[in-house]
Amino acid sequence: MSSVSKQNKKSQQEKSRTTALSVKWARRREVALEVLRNPLTVIGLVIIFLFLMMAAFAPLLVEPNQPDPYQSPRDWSNIDAAPGVAGHILGTDSTGGDVLYGIIWGSRLSLQLSLTVVLFTLIFGTIVGSIAAMRGGKLDNLLMRIVDVFLSIPELIFALAIAAVLGPDFSNIILALAAVFWVKYARIIRGEIIRVKQADYVAAAKVVGDSQWNIYRKDVLPNAATPLIVQATLDMGNVVLIGATLSFIGLAQAGLTEWGALVSNGQSGLLAGEWWVSTFAGLAIVLWALAFNLVGDGLRDVLDPKTEGR
Amino acid sequence: MQVRDYLLRRLALLPFIMLGVSVIVFTLTRFTGSPVGIYATPNMTAEEISALEARYLLDQPIPLQYAAWIGGLFRGDLGWSGVSVAPVTDVIGLKFAATFELALAAGFIAVFAGIALGTLAGVRRNRLPDHGARLFSIFGASTPTFWFGLLLLVPFYLWLDWFPLGRSTPEIFSSIAHPTGMYTLDAVLALNAGAFLDAVRHLVLPAVVLAFGAMAIIVRMMRSSMVEAMSEEYVDAARAKGLPNKVVIRRHARRNALLPTTTVIGLSFGFLLQGAVAVELIFRWPGLGQWVTSAVLSGDQATIMAYVLITALIFMTVNLAVDIAYAYLDRRVVLGG
Amino acid sequence: MSENWLLKVQDLSVHFHSPRGVVHAVDNVSFEIKPGETLALVGETGCGKSVTARSILRLVPEPPGEYASGKILLSQDQDQSIEILSAPIKAVRAIRGERISMIFQDPGKALNPALTIGRQLAEVFGEHRMDMILENAGIEPDKASRADKMIAQQRASFLQIRLFSLLRSKKGKALQKSIDDAVARALADTGIPNPRKIMKSYPHELSGGMKQRVMIAQALACDPDLLIADEPTTALDVTIQARILELIQEMQKRRGMAVLYITHDLSLVREFADRVAVMYAGRIVETGPAVDVLASPQHPYTQGLLGAIPHRRTPRGQLAAIPGSVPQLVSPPAQCHFASRCKWAAEACKSVVPLLNSTETSRKVACLRFDTAEKLSVDIGDMPARAEMGEVAAE
Repeated sequence: MSSVSKQNKKSQQEKSRTTALSVKWARRREVALEVLRNPLTVIGLVIIFLFLMMAAFAPLLVEPNQPDPYQSPRDWSNIDAAPGVAGHILGTDSTGGDVLYGIIWGSRLSLQLSLTVVLFTLIFGTIVGSIAAMRGGKLDNLLMRIVDVFLSIPELIFALAIAAVLGPDFSNIILALAAVFWVKYARIIRGEIIRVKQADYVAAAKVVGDSQWNIYRKDVLPNAATPLIVQATLDMGNVVLIGATLSFIGLAQAGLTEWGALVSNGQSGLLAGEWWVSTFAGLAIVLWALAFNLVGDGLRDVLDPKTEGR
Repeated sequence: MQVRDYLLRRLALLPFIMLGVSVIVFTLTRFTGSPVGIYATPNMTAEEISALEARYLLDQPIPLQYAAWIGGLFRGDLGWSGVSVAPVTDVIGLKFAATFELALAAGFIAVFAGIALGTLAGVRRNRLPDHGARLFSIFGASTPTFWFGLLLLVPFYLWLDWFPLGRSTPEIFSSIAHPTGMYTLDAVLALNAGAFLDAVRHLVLPAVVLAFGAMAIIVRMMRSSMVEAMSEEYVDAARAKGLPNKVVIRRHARRNALLPTTTVIGLSFGFLLQGAVAVELIFRWPGLGQWVTSAVLSGDQATIMAYVLITALIFMTVNLAVDIAYAYLDRRVVLGG
Repeated sequence: MSENWLLKVQDLSVHFHSPRGVVHAVDNVSFEIKPGETLALVGETGCGKSVTARSILRLVPEPPGEYASGKILLSQDQDQSIEILSAPIKAVRAIRGERISMIFQDPGKALNPALTIGRQLAEVFGEHRMDMILENAGIEPDKASRADKMIAQQRASFLQIRLFSLLRSKKGKALQKSIDDAVARALADTGIPNPRKIMKSYPHELSGGMKQRVMIAQALACDPDLLIADEPTTALDVTIQARILELIQEMQKRRGMAVLYITHDLSLVREFADRVAVMYAGRIVETGPAVDVLASPQHPYTQGLLGAIPHRRTPRGQLAAIPGSVPQLVSPPAQCHFASRCKWAAEACKSVVPLLNSTETSRKVACLRFDTAEKLSVDIGDMPARAEMGEVAAE
């Protein structure tokens, strides 16, 4: 092959790559616009944005407690204060902890929890599932039986056991959830890859003689990623729900400004008619989970309408 | 027959998965503290403890330790439950019966109410019942069970005092025998209407709270498969035969929509088991969930591990049962491996 | 003017409300069907022919569908007629399956996969032939008690809870036998071998042709006056298509019922239809005796349709496709819908909706320029017959 034609081919490749890129971006824009057409999704996005702002600007919203900002400052002169009393907009709990402070700094913990768990499990699960699907055979069988074992214990219960063994600490809750949540992704990506692998364009790439890694990176993964994105969005909410349940049970350290722990703190007051602590903290959890559920559903409707209801 | 082969394979796989679960649980017991902790009672002397260590091969290599532990399981030796101050095996049956009664009641509510609401939503698509059902299912998926329980506790227990906490009134409890440990069933067996009412009164509120999350899943699935079924041509064909609307919906659309819903019923049972942890804590229901939460707080390893094992066993059994039901309902089923 | 009609559709318009606007799926369609006659409603996918057919049984879902205007009259005894679109739903249900039946494009989808064939047929008898069932079970219909009727109802619908039947099992058995006999007779009538075995099968256990036979047996169970066949052969193998159509024709002759074919297949029209109505974009553009319309189509669209069929004498590469595509039916402009694809279109075609006008006795065409349009004459003997097409496909 002469050098001229080689060069020619190269520029052609470049060209096709740029058009492919612009097509990709146009497609993404189209998807984004369609997602934004659903008012419920927009509501979810707005709530998420507000929570992110809350987490990011927590120190500006309320002065951080020293030395540990994740412990509510105690106002011993205002114990069990109703909402609106002397600078406590949402009231205080039985140890004088401000409810609003707890919710604001709790948003940081929820963000930390969900981001860490979802990112880790997404990556780890994708790796495991991809290896299983691309390799196939005995390795696939072994990995999938491990996944089956993990799936046979309900998530919360598994995480509860791990966190209990590790001891009551918020970081252990994160660890426990990360150890449990990856299986779903492994299973999803494996199924998707096997489906995509049977598609014609992958066969075409094979004929052309692309390396397995290249086929995986360019053809398989992008086409299999859609349900992962949807699942990850939904899990941003699920993880916080389960994490809050664990700290409600008492697996976070005492006095932590975590929403589930706050609901637990307010539990005794609730029966004495002091409804605000549990109600507001619980509302924060519901809003968080609701927002990610709305966005996840919206994404699924646009990207992957067939899996509705799973 | 393909279906039977599939089910047999599932059944054959069950012990292996259980083995996997046991390996995980065993690993967890070796994580912290001394492994002998799950067998030791509080007042044991140092000699007694070393005798235990020798008995469960804890001075031997890990595989032998595992073998000894598993051997214990098969002899019904699950260790010493610190929170119950008794061997795990002695109390686990009672705890299981309590949770099973609660989960069964919640399951009935979730399945029947969920199917009814989902059907209605699917038939009246994009109208009021549908919007209501969708709202219900998204809130059901977003509301933590423990918070929902607390919210219902205030009006129905605190203000109205309709439903008491716990499982039964002590005098009534001691008035009848409890062969099954499921108090409603016990009351029926004893032909005691008063005891039955008492058991039901205690059961209603926690069961409703527990049902909420699982029902959300079922409503959602039932709605979408009902929407799909209603657009099938056999529904039009049934109408074209002159059948009344009710028959068309029930016999033709709903019957087919139930199939995909069956698959999530098994899944949602996992939600019931999970949710029971918080619900039992809030409503003082002395089942597996309450048992494990107190074990968690006092570091009672043996109880926690026994709890994980039994939950996994229940969950897998229910899912297998659902699979069998599915295969029975849909004789066309072509189950993939 | 002969008042001898069975079904009369007058100015029927059906709209669908969608997020993009109101779709005018059927637009001022009128036609009639005489007793025993075969009418073919011909057109491309999406032209509104199926919606028209479903409207006759009032099967269009409301919403999103809406019967915007028009009447559908079904003649009854003594010069009376019933208007289907405005009748109480109970009266319409009495017509469905009893006086007008329908068979669908894909028998695989039109039979309920979860019920046995016998059960699906029994439903029809339970709905429309209760007296016959009672009588054959030895119960006089007039003297039948409520319980008897309930047992029969339950047996016919094969309800799981057979409380009454359990209590009075002797009668229950007699009723069951009476229903089973009726179902078996209906199946045997359409030439289904071994009906007792077929009754116990589920749809997925039968072949496509057998399923369509079952559909026909079900549709004809109550001896209807009109059978609507919506693309009855499209989903079937070519070799079976002819047999199904011949079966329908045979049943039609034996029972003297009218048949309305909904189809895009002109060779079917040629072989089986007395009259034809060509639909385009929600409107009827041409009607007339099938032989005449096929031999000398007057509307440019009909001409285009005929030109798109391969003929024995068409040289290779000269198969004429109609240029352009079917217009959007969301808020359609008041003009001839075919104007944009028509080579004879004039200015006037884009400003008024052409009405169906008589051109000869019994022929009508909705075209302003049919006089100017080049006359096409087709030697219909040239069109390949179905059997030949089957051979071609089988080769």
